[in-house]
Amino acid sequence: MSSADWIAISPLIAVAAAAVVVMMLAAFWRRHAIVAAASMIGLAVALFCVLPARSAAPRMVTGLLAIDEFGLFYVGLLLKGSLAVAAVSYGYLRARGRDAEEYYALLLTATLGCVTLAVSAHFVSFFLGLEILSVSLYALIAYTRERARSIEAGIKYLVLAAGSAAFLLFGMALLYAEYGAMGFAPLAKALKASGGANVYMLAGMALILVGAGFKLAAAPFHLWTPDVYEGAPAPATAFVAGVSKVAMAALLLRFLTQLGATDSRPILIALSALAVASMFAGNLLALLQRNVKRILAYSSIAHIGYLLVAFIAAGPMGAEAATFYLAAYMITTLIAFGVVAALSPRDRDADAMEDYQGLFWRRPWMGGAFVAALLSLAGIPLTAGFIGKYFVVASGIGSALWALVLILALNSAIGLFYYLRSVVAVYARPGEEAKAADRAPGFSLAGGVALAVLGFSLILLGVYPAPLLRLIQTAIASL
Amino acid sequence: MAIGLEHYLVVGAVLFALGLVCCMARRTAIGILIGIELILNAANINLIAFDRFGTGRFDGQIFAVFVIILAACEAAIALAIIIGMFMNFGTIDTDVADKLEG
Amino acid sequence: MILTLLILILLIGGAAAWAAERKSPLWSRGIALGAVTLDLLLVVGQWAALRHAPEFLKPGAWLVETRAEWIPQFGVSFHLGMDGLSLLLLALTFFLGALSVACSWSEIQKRVGFFHFNLLWVLAGIAGVFTALDLFLFYFFWEMMLIPMYLLIVIWGHERRVYSAIKFFLFTQASGLLMLIAILTLQFLHFKQTGARSFDYSDLLNVAMTPRAAMLLMLVPEASLRFAPVAMALGVVGILYGAILAFAQTDLKRLVAYTSVSHLGFVVLGIYSWNAWAMQGAVMQMICHGLSTGALFVLVGLLYERIHTRDLRRMGGLWSAAPRIGAMAMFFAMASLGLPGLGNFIAEFLVLLGAYHVSVWMTALAGIGLVGATIYSLSLMQRAFHGPAEEAWSFADLSAREWAVLGAMAAALVWLGLYPQPVLHAAAPIVESLEKIGSALPGFFMR
Repeated sequence: MSSADWIAISPLIAVAAAAVVVMMLAAFWRRHAIVAAASMIGLAVALFCVLPARSAAPRMVTGLLAIDEFGLFYVGLLLKGSLAVAAVSYGYLRARGRDAEEYYALLLTATLGCVTLAVSAHFVSFFLGLEILSVSLYALIAYTRERARSIEAGIKYLVLAAGSAAFLLFGMALLYAEYGAMGFAPLAKALKASGGANVYMLAGMALILVGAGFKLAAAPFHLWTPDVYEGAPAPATAFVAGVSKVAMAALLLRFLTQLGATDSRPILIALSALAVASMFAGNLLALLQRNVKRILAYSSIAHIGYLLVAFIAAGPMGAEAATFYLAAYMITTLIAFGVVAALSPRDRDADAMEDYQGLFWRRPWMGGAFVAALLSLAGIPLTAGFIGKYFVVASGIGSALWALVLILALNSAIGLFYYLRSVVAVYARPGEEAKAADRAPGFSLAGGVALAVLGFSLILLGVYPAPLLRLIQTAIASL
Repeated sequence: MAIGLEHYLVVGAVLFALGLVCCMARRTAIGILIGIELILNAANINLIAFDRFGTGRFDGQIFAVFVIILAACEAAIALAIIIGMFMNFGTIDTDVADKLEG
Repeated sequence: MILTLLILILLIGGAAAWAAERKSPLWSRGIALGAVTLDLLLVVGQWAALRHAPEFLKPGAWLVETRAEWIPQFGVSFHLGMDGLSLLLLALTFFLGALSVACSWSEIQKRVGFFHFNLLWVLAGIAGVFTALDLFLFYFFWEMMLIPMYLLIVIWGHERRVYSAIKFFLFTQASGLLMLIAILTLQFLHFKQTGARSFDYSDLLNVAMTPRAAMLLMLVPEASLRFAPVAMALGVVGILYGAILAFAQTDLKRLVAYTSVSHLGFVVLGIYSWNAWAMQGAVMQMICHGLSTGALFVLVGLLYERIHTRDLRRMGGLWSAAPRIGAMAMFFAMASLGLPGLGNFIAEFLVLLGAYHVSVWMTALAGIGLVGATIYSLSLMQRAFHGPAEEAWSFADLSAREWAVLGAMAAALVWLGLYPQPVLHAAAPIVESLEKIGSALPGFFMR
């Protein structure tokens, strides 16, 4: 490995080093504030390392990691997301009042898994990144181990994620068997040379799609989502929903694009089926929910459906739309769960609709942020979600996917029901119990700053997305 | 009769099927975990067999080593969570844990 | 520049009104009223300044235009423009906006700052919709104004407000999404034909389309023209349906709402008759309907504030308790039924005149709508203000502020009824250019 290689992977190394440092701190100097600060600094350093890495790009490091504009864009995005999660976690864990330190080490290893996924161009790094992420997430989800719900969510996620990873691995083995290659680029070459699809290839791709579908929570592989979202501590939910899905989607985008999989009819049909099922399942089931975390869970399933429409739309426009959508989605999700985390008292998460009754009048800024997040999920102008939805619809029309686009429009309308119901609650007159609990126990300065920055980005991207779009265009061009 | 690629593939496929059945039929968390390990090892057998009879570049074998390590990590965390489950629910039967709606 | 300024004043004024609530609600109201009035003065000033300019009468020319790059990747630009028609509608919007700030002065007592914030942002969205020349921008403003409108209904609405707010939002959003798909398709066709991404109205107007695609999209005038007979029939149905349902209502507010349906039927009929008289009439009707129906809603509101009911069965004999309210209601009811001398008469007369050239049958049926208007207007007066009093009413008559609001609206209607020339003058170029398109495509009219 040359020095340029080291520079290129410096963001990954920085995250890994931060994880080790935080683990040591947690062992020898158990001070919550210091551990939290150290992990945030570590993430910031990693984020800073993206700049020199960009100057070294594009470069394949050891055949496993592709450090290019695309990968680094996602690395930056994921690191920002984890930074926000770390900031939000601080207040939440302080309110809980015990054993907070190891949480940050797990958060950092999970982030390491995410950034590895974003730059991996090989089955080995794919699986490695995925497992680093999953194993950390099992522990993060079950972190509040005195709560039965948290443990139950951890078990559910463990069983399904490990199962899906095993499927994924078997799919990889099949593709390896047929084409004798594990890197995406050699695989694509072998695929082209062999002249199209055959049974092994389709079976392998199907298994890989099942594995990825589980991670993304696309219907019909979404069954774990509401339970895990509800049971996991709110900041961990934010990470699962906002950050880990973005990493998986980035990898899938690279994989499908490099393999030219969107030219294959069976794969397109499979993706379309996933998209339609996710949109309908997410939106219709969300209508039945009263628990805020579960509503957000089903809404995220629907959003994966919208995202898949952009995946199906061929060409760079689809990839750009998907990337913008993911960025908008990440910001929005982090705000929503950040507010949930900030409002959560010591012994439970603030996930009942009553917790949000009249929030806007009790805490205008937090209520405003929550409403902005809901409106962004609904795709209303002035928010990033609007531009994202517009872009996805545009890419769908650009590829003449009329049926999918109409289904998307129909589902957006269905989705409004439950988003608006939550907005109404936020603006309602505060109830008596809500007045009594007129506090945000999980609020901290760091979390407040993170929410403010996220909220500002949400509006900025909704009003003036041109700079980010330029960045995304360079990123996609490098793919 | 010489043992060839097909024999390994058949063993791999059988292990995969056994693992799948184990995952679905077992109700205890440990049983499910064993099923998952079976699937992982089915994939490992495939990877090694393809490497041996196909490319011969050792990349499949190396991958298998990675998988074994990751499976060990997974088992460690999984057992910790299962202990947590036992503390909370007094059992490791996954059907009993249904505090979450849905 | 002036167009951007119009929108910015409202956006900033709204935020300032919200922030000023801490000081006192009076500050919020003052700031809101000031911002809207400033906009109104700017628009009227433009009107006065441009009235004699040569572009004013040139079809297809923009009086004022601003353009800036916004999202070049999508081909979206911040492109605003104003012609005679949008000038009229902006003036109407700000006039009614100022009056609605004034008439909510005592009615809105809670969360005053946030109320004015929402109100001004709605107005900003409407101003954007009237001036946007980029279809993406148009959609952006269109959707942007729905949120504050929704909040206005949810927070300050009356009974069943959540239900009606969600219903309102869903209908507008779902139809908005279909509109978005249509806009995008147009953009996509343009891209395929020219290789350039653009949402600009003038670019998209020239997209060549198969007739069927044009029929589906119906965004451009030629396509609308093919749809004309159906639209005219819908207009007539709207007139009659609205009139009949208005007559059957017992809730005063619902009654006024159905009269509004009936009046907008005239607008549709006028537009799709596709000749100068009818379209001039449609423009007049938009303005007069805004004034007369707006005034009736104000009256409903101030009655509700006093007697806490809108049920016509409980009213009766209100005239003796509040003769000034009664007189005002009489005036606007007369306007609503199209009494000569008031603006609505000019509007409806022009529409019927123009429609007569296209279809005698449709005109005759729409004429029946006028009889219906007379019936519901007079029955409204009869049921609410005359007849035996159900209860011993005693409440305050119009205050000076309410006098001013209603007086201004009444004066505007009289002015439009006696001297409609300025409006007809301002709308002339756009009517002319539309008529030209119509004459180029003969054969779609029923005779």
